[in-house]
Amino acid sequence: MGLTDTVIADARSPRVQPGENAARRKRIRRLKETAVSLGMAGPAVALYSLLMVVPVLVAIYLSLTDWDGFSAADFIGIRNYLHLFTDTNTTHSMWVTLIVVVFGSAFEIGLGLAYALALRQKSRTNSVFRALAYYPHVISALILGFLWNAILGTNGAFNSLLASFGIKPVGFLFEQNLALISLIAVIVWAGFGFNVVLFVAALQTVPLELIEAAEIDGASRWQINRHIVIPMISPVVTVALILNLIGLLRVYDIVVSLTGGGPGGATQTYAFVILMQSFGGTKIGYANAQAVFLMIVSAALALLVTALRNRSDRAAGGEG
Amino acid sequence: MKGTGIWRRVGAAAVLAGAASMVLAGCAAKTPASTSGSGSAHLRVIMNVTPNLTVAFWNDLFSKYEKAHPGVTISLERTGTIQASDKLNQDLAAGDPPDIVQQVTPTAQTVKLFTDLSDQSWTKDTPLVDNYKINGKTYLVGAGQQVQSLVFYNKEAFQKAGLDASAITSVADLTDAMGKLKAAGYVPLQTAGQWVTGAQFTLFNDSTTMTQTPNWIKQRTEGKVKFSEGQYLDSLKTYQSWVEDGYLQKSDLGLAYADGQTNFLNGKSAMYMMGSFFVPAADQAKKSDQFGVFSMPTTGKYPTKQFSNIADSYVVVKQSKNQKAAIDFVKWLTTDKTAVTAELAADGNFRAGYSYKMSSLGDGVQKIVNASPGGFVEAADEQPLTGFSTELTSQIQSLISGTSAKQVAQNLDKWWDSQTQ
Repeated sequence: MGLTDTVIADARSPRVQPGENAARRKRIRRLKETAVSLGMAGPAVALYSLLMVVPVLVAIYLSLTDWDGFSAADFIGIRNYLHLFTDTNTTHSMWVTLIVVVFGSAFEIGLGLAYALALRQKSRTNSVFRALAYYPHVISALILGFLWNAILGTNGAFNSLLASFGIKPVGFLFEQNLALISLIAVIVWAGFGFNVVLFVAALQTVPLELIEAAEIDGASRWQINRHIVIPMISPVVTVALILNLIGLLRVYDIVVSLTGGGPGGATQTYAFVILMQSFGGTKIGYANAQAVFLMIVSAALALLVTALRNRSDRAAGGEG
Repeated sequence: MKGTGIWRRVGAAAVLAGAASMVLAGCAAKTPASTSGSGSAHLRVIMNVTPNLTVAFWNDLFSKYEKAHPGVTISLERTGTIQASDKLNQDLAAGDPPDIVQQVTPTAQTVKLFTDLSDQSWTKDTPLVDNYKINGKTYLVGAGQQVQSLVFYNKEAFQKAGLDASAITSVADLTDAMGKLKAAGYVPLQTAGQWVTGAQFTLFNDSTTMTQTPNWIKQRTEGKVKFSEGQYLDSLKTYQSWVEDGYLQKSDLGLAYADGQTNFLNGKSAMYMMGSFFVPAADQAKKSDQFGVFSMPTTGKYPTKQFSNIADSYVVVKQSKNQKAAIDFVKWLTTDKTAVTAELAADGNFRAGYSYKMSSLGDGVQKIVNASPGGFVEAADEQPLTGFSTELTSQIQSLISGTSAKQVAQNLDKWWDSQTQ
């Protein structure tokens, strides 16, 4: 830089300085704001990463190893994932879980909705019935399993009653098909109350004017529910469906205490196999592969339901 | 400035958090560490607490040792609802290893977790010690021996059916006896759900199979034998015939282990295949005299070798900082006359040269042990694959629910092969 240039630059600087200072102050303010935001969000992000992201990454890593919990973990690629589909216990448990998920969520949603519709009016009696429906949800699922085992087991209350009349025991827990039905029934009984609470809350948001208008137009109760009420609470139904699907994919504790996975593995759900057999059998690498697969399926199901719901909304919007 | 204030507060919080963690770390560092000599040590011991081996029993046993060894204190690490092996895994993962664990059988994979006791001369006199060696080394020692392949029977039922227990020596005799018991109005054989279904079949089958082919499990691992052929399949077929003839009740699958045992104790069934740990249960119910016992019938020689396992067994954890004290305590648990006798009596176990006041039923088991040509265990090379007992239970429940013996055998083969791929 020559002398002339320096002089020119020096001469210019007093003219641009006010604008630069303002911009600099603005930049500093933005930086401070960003730093404050990061400082405030940082701990939460760090905690989330530490408690959620890191364990998932560790699980994914372990799923690619043959770690048994004791020895050094050897990397084995996707062999654990391939084994998922050749391991008869796991494949069988996938079918059992599918049945539980399909029928469990259908009944939990269906019964929850029917119950909520029946009890949507505010009254003391309805409040009691709503509380009764929700009551099993506050008890540990493990305890509920033991409770129903004491009722439905061979020596349980129901069969003991039958025995006192000389009637043979009903195989609620020892007939393979009936045991699976019993399991689903207990799961539905324990879980549908949560949906009732969700749906009752959602029903309060449906404008009464719409229902009254439909009634004036001569719509029946069924038509009102079918064409007005249910479509209006469908976002809540979608949320409930996703929660139910994910919850039922992971069902484990009721199985442990109600049937122990028996008889003959008829009620061994996927999560039961992961926890009782794979982790219990110190196949930690394989158990992690099973868990990661479950996580992927859960996420895929949630996304699928949401996508279907959005598409249905768009279609409804288009029609409108 | 607002931002500066926030940063000052964040900084102060960080300093406080840092100071707090340093104080906590300091406190942790000041926690008295266990000393490593045997003279003064605090031992943490994981024990399975059962209806027979209660917390009170263990604490009483520990206090006897503590009195005789001033400076040594022992605390019982309870397992809660999980097995001792799972508790050990948890403690190791948490970096908080115990010193001694009861009822954990080392395998080739887990052996590195435990102290090699081969140089301890006293171990050679402990029961079944050689059967549990891994690669020729001793890691597990026990106070006694649990006898598994036993058939307990209801004396009154046998009397009504006109049966003589001593004459039942073959599987055919046993089947014949079941027919007579059924005709006399009894459920011939008591079973239950949970682990009982698979365990009882193992007791029945292995008495023949493992006597005829002592290294059957090793051979299965090497692919030389199969579940779907030979003696194993024959045993499954026999079991299936018992189900078809109504000698085993399908409804028993809906019973928990304790419920099944209660049914037998209450005289609802005539026979019960179970290990010697049934004896203290019958003693506690004050019904021992109502029952008798005979060794498991086989299709071959009789009496057969007794299917046994080491009882009240202990391992010293390699990561324990109290190696000498832990080994001394295990030595006491497995060789001291008072300790061994107390453990044997509490869980109805047996050991040559040690006796305790037994009921008539316990005496019956002792006679079977004395008459037996030996024992076999399912450990070390003869240890089934991890998870096999669960799979077997599931398959035997399927058999009782109507699946054919051949299909069950094929399922077992398929499972075994899928686990060894």
